[in-house]
Amino acid sequence: MLSRIAQELFWLGRNVARAEHTARMLDGVFQASLQSAADSSRSGSAAVRLDWESIVAIMGAESESGNGSADVLRRMTLDQTEPASLISCVGRAREGARTVRDVVSAEMWEAINTTHLTLAESDVPGRFSMGPYSVFQYVRERSALFWGLTSRTMLRDEANAFLIAGGRIESADMVLRMLRVAMPAPEAVEGEAVADASLQDGQAQALLHAVGGFQAFRRAVPSPAHAGPVARFLLYERNYPDSVAASVDALHRALNNADDSPRRSEPVLRLSRLGADLDFRGRGASTDANLAETCELVQSELTLIDKDISERYFAGAMPAAGLVMA
Amino acid sequence: MAYGPELGGPFDEVFAPGAEPHPHTVSLARELAALGPQALAEAGHRRDAIFVQQGITFDASGEAGPVRDRPFPLDLVPRILPASEWDHIERGLAQRITALNRFIDDVYHEREIVRAGLVPWQLIVSRSHFARAVHGIRPPGGVYCHVAGCDLVKDSDGSWKVLEDNVRTPSGISYVLENRVAMTRLVPQFFRDYHVRPVDQYPQILAAALRAAAPSAEDEATIVVWTPGSMNSAYFEHSFIARQMGVELVEASDLVVRDDVVYMRTTAGLRRVHAIYRRLDDDFIDPLEFRPDSLLGVPGLIRAYRAGTVAIANAVGTGVADDKAIYHYVPEMIKFYLGEEPILDNVQTYLMADPKQLEYALSRRNELVFKPTNESGGKGVCIGPRTSSEALDSLAAVIRSKPEDWIAQELVNLSTVPTAGPDGVLAPRHVDLRPFAVFGETIKIVPGGLTRVAMVEGSMIVNSSQGGGSKDTWVLEEQDDAPLTTEALSSRVMSPTMPNLRYGSEWHGQQQQQQQQSPTARVDQTAATDLAAGSDDELPPQRQAFPTDGGLA
Amino acid sequence: MNYEIHYLTEYSYSDAVTDNLNALRVHPATTSSQRCDEFHVRLEPEARLQRHVDYYGTQVLEFGIAKPHDHLTIDVRARVVTSEPKQAPEADWDALLSESYIEVAGEFLLPLGDEPVALNHQLVDDVRGATPLATVHNLANIIADRFRYEPGATYVGSTVDDFLNAGAGVCQDFAHLGVVLLRRNGIAARYVSGYLFSTGAEQDDAAESVEVQTHAWVEALLPGDAENPEPVWVGIDPTNRKLAGETHVKIGHGRRYSDVPPTKGVYFGSAGAELTVAVTMTRLDAATSART
Repeated sequence: MLSRIAQELFWLGRNVARAEHTARMLDGVFQASLQSAADSSRSGSAAVRLDWESIVAIMGAESESGNGSADVLRRMTLDQTEPASLISCVGRAREGARTVRDVVSAEMWEAINTTHLTLAESDVPGRFSMGPYSVFQYVRERSALFWGLTSRTMLRDEANAFLIAGGRIESADMVLRMLRVAMPAPEAVEGEAVADASLQDGQAQALLHAVGGFQAFRRAVPSPAHAGPVARFLLYERNYPDSVAASVDALHRALNNADDSPRRSEPVLRLSRLGADLDFRGRGASTDANLAETCELVQSELTLIDKDISERYFAGAMPAAGLVMA
Repeated sequence: MAYGPELGGPFDEVFAPGAEPHPHTVSLARELAALGPQALAEAGHRRDAIFVQQGITFDASGEAGPVRDRPFPLDLVPRILPASEWDHIERGLAQRITALNRFIDDVYHEREIVRAGLVPWQLIVSRSHFARAVHGIRPPGGVYCHVAGCDLVKDSDGSWKVLEDNVRTPSGISYVLENRVAMTRLVPQFFRDYHVRPVDQYPQILAAALRAAAPSAEDEATIVVWTPGSMNSAYFEHSFIARQMGVELVEASDLVVRDDVVYMRTTAGLRRVHAIYRRLDDDFIDPLEFRPDSLLGVPGLIRAYRAGTVAIANAVGTGVADDKAIYHYVPEMIKFYLGEEPILDNVQTYLMADPKQLEYALSRRNELVFKPTNESGGKGVCIGPRTSSEALDSLAAVIRSKPEDWIAQELVNLSTVPTAGPDGVLAPRHVDLRPFAVFGETIKIVPGGLTRVAMVEGSMIVNSSQGGGSKDTWVLEEQDDAPLTTEALSSRVMSPTMPNLRYGSEWHGQQQQQQQQSPTARVDQTAATDLAAGSDDELPPQRQAFPTDGGLA
Repeated sequence: MNYEIHYLTEYSYSDAVTDNLNALRVHPATTSSQRCDEFHVRLEPEARLQRHVDYYGTQVLEFGIAKPHDHLTIDVRARVVTSEPKQAPEADWDALLSESYIEVAGEFLLPLGDEPVALNHQLVDDVRGATPLATVHNLANIIADRFRYEPGATYVGSTVDDFLNAGAGVCQDFAHLGVVLLRRNGIAARYVSGYLFSTGAEQDDAAESVEVQTHAWVEALLPGDAENPEPVWVGIDPTNRKLAGETHVKIGHGRRYSDVPPTKGVYFGSAGAELTVAVTMTRLDAATSART
């Protein structure tokens, strides 16, 4: 298929996934922020830090000092001039979907288009200030609808593979970003005592809520929701669909299907190595010591994979930049 | 029925003066009467609901600013052309397009018509679409106008005339196909007594013509449709045609030229392209050859074209024949190249570059239509009888300052067809016709074409951005031409089948994005693409479903 | 005259670029007073050259470099023999209206579609002489009198209006204005691109080898005289106040610069480009004065 269309699908997947994770994250932090004043003063440096400042950092938005949390919340949700905001992600997804309308199913297009139109309605800011939850929930549900429709109505062809690949690489990336910002600094976790301190940390739960994996964690992991087990769960638990390992696996499968010759494909080979590496680390990881390092390593691998994908499949998506007459 | 065309007025294609239907429209008139205004209005509401739901809408400019998301205005009363009349049109168009094609070839090679003293060379080279870059390049098979859409009108004496020639990137075929499907769904009873020739073979005809032009073995040719992008107002039609032909819809960034060969960038690497159906103007296809200020297009495309490794449809440089000053000479071309008399006449045209004609036309400026030669889509057209004398005086000054850029034409009293108002009541409305011809190994013309209708009483403005609409255009099989006897009628009325109904598979189509107008760019993409660029001959279905072919007025 | 021309163009890109496509119009033309004996192009990185003759009769060399590269060298060498053109014919103004004149003039009599608005009629009238030939001589002097030669005052895409407003420019601007002024007087005119062997005032007249630049001048179509009635294209160099002679080596002509740019290219990539151009002309025969 055309590189441009494949790239458009890839970014459609990314933007939908990013919108969903942004909604989950903002929701999780908003809930935590309502009751976190006491916690944060108590938990010290080893605590999971998931506050408004972290959100801005995770989303890669410009930090605007002096603004209150309500402002950050509004900006990251409904500000169309903020490229990292929820509404911007949905808007980009919708523009992408429009370009590939002939490739995705009509239902998928309608799902994303309606989401965009609804968020742009004039009463949304009012509803948002009354209760942000309704907006976050709406975006989560619409995102689930989109992926559901994808699995039920879209031909499982190369186009589908690139859409899924985009969604999965974004999911993995977002979870890693959250972990890296929210996790205690590495030097602080080294001592046992400090790790104990994090046992009481209520904000690890906020992280789980943010990712949407609280119930799954509870059912899968017997230990309390402190930073270490939560991070391990989100990184390695293949049975949890939004873990980094599960996303990497799904990305690997998608590209394996899309590629003409996967055995000679740099991104496929790299993903295969990364999957094995995560597997190995997951089995050996009983302490938290190398978690931060692992996160960093996986994220840099994903960056390389993203670059490999661009080069192998989307080559030449750049514009011609120079015209010279002399 | 209060419908009654007047004697001496415009030709009505359904009812003769005195409100008697023409022989071939008896059945339609009966079905319309049986249906009644209320049911017709209801069918109209169903049509609007379906069109809005499916996004077959367009934006128009109203008096109170732009009007968005209007359902595409298909009038449910079809326009019927008897077989004999169509035969005449078909032969006339084939003749005309053959001559235009010969002219284009001649202009870029031997210039015989210039040497014969029939068309002045200075007129040709001063046309803005004269393409020096393709001087001496002869495309495969010598075919330049692969797709032609000449605009025809029917005068008050019932004769057909050519109003203008569109041989760059004529559009509207998607509406021809969509209209037919909609009609079979909404008013199947109208088809009952007719054998209507199908139109849905168009994509196959076009694909065959492109394959014939492609420099490759017939079955190996890779064809693409090239669109300026999704922001282009005719994007709907571009994607429609690509989908119907089952080929890729590409943008400039998808194509690259290496060693004089055109490729498209795919996820599996570069893939050779043999034929490009391009829907944008010459100016935007190769920055190395055209528009030095523009980076749009595919650098090196003309190089590949010159090397003969790729076919471009329509060929580069056809715009020279798509010019209103050149139009004046088409009857001469037919005589010169083909040695035949023109089957279809021009509308009487005056070249303002000629001082005598200029004075004559300006002295009759309140009766004539004035058109700039290098524009299309009705831009800059001035209709004498509908323009104030002050405005006409200032127009005269403009024309005098650059007479070579203007022509004047006699006003044609366009024929009318009954058209349903919002209440379902029929009234005569003016129409024109744009048939679509495809020049492959031979010239094939889809029966009928796009009929555009002025929805306002007396108006001859048929473009939908100003309230114009369209009609499904039926060309009948020969057996329908003869007037039906009462017995034949009754036997046909009982017929349980509806012959020749065709159900398109594309009705539940992907057209919805037409109504969307958000220019938000994806920030993740570094490509800065100018999507506004494109052909000025596009029929824009979105902001303006049809060009302001004010020439019709 | 016998010249060796060495035209070296070097692009240096700040980052790797790909799909670098170029069209060169650098090959000396063959005319009644000029012949090109040898012509070589060397490219670095190497690429296959395609040749064709364009609408105006100029030889065009095209090439494309697909693989990533961060520099491009175009090294052109040519040997040319020139001779002094024949005496320009003298005829009166009425001859411009003859059919044969108009036929040869073709499109070079027509407005370009971007006619300058800042042009005052006085200038058009001042150029007009007693005959077309006198007008041609006036043109060579008047433009040089009233406009300064000043590199940097205009750029490659400047219009005649820009030049009129700036009051200064380079040979390209002088030639563009010359074409307009001649056409306004009813004389067919075209823009010429080429090379000029010119030893500056401070240099020795007999210099063998000089650093020059690509040059631009004008050709006017003058009606023939009684002896030879065919109209003749006569070169005028308004930058140097003279008619074009054997020091002028023509590449080609067009309506304006953009019809005959020496190099024109497009590349793919986000890198910027730095351009250096060096044109060296060496006189191969006896060092007689090239000036007229």
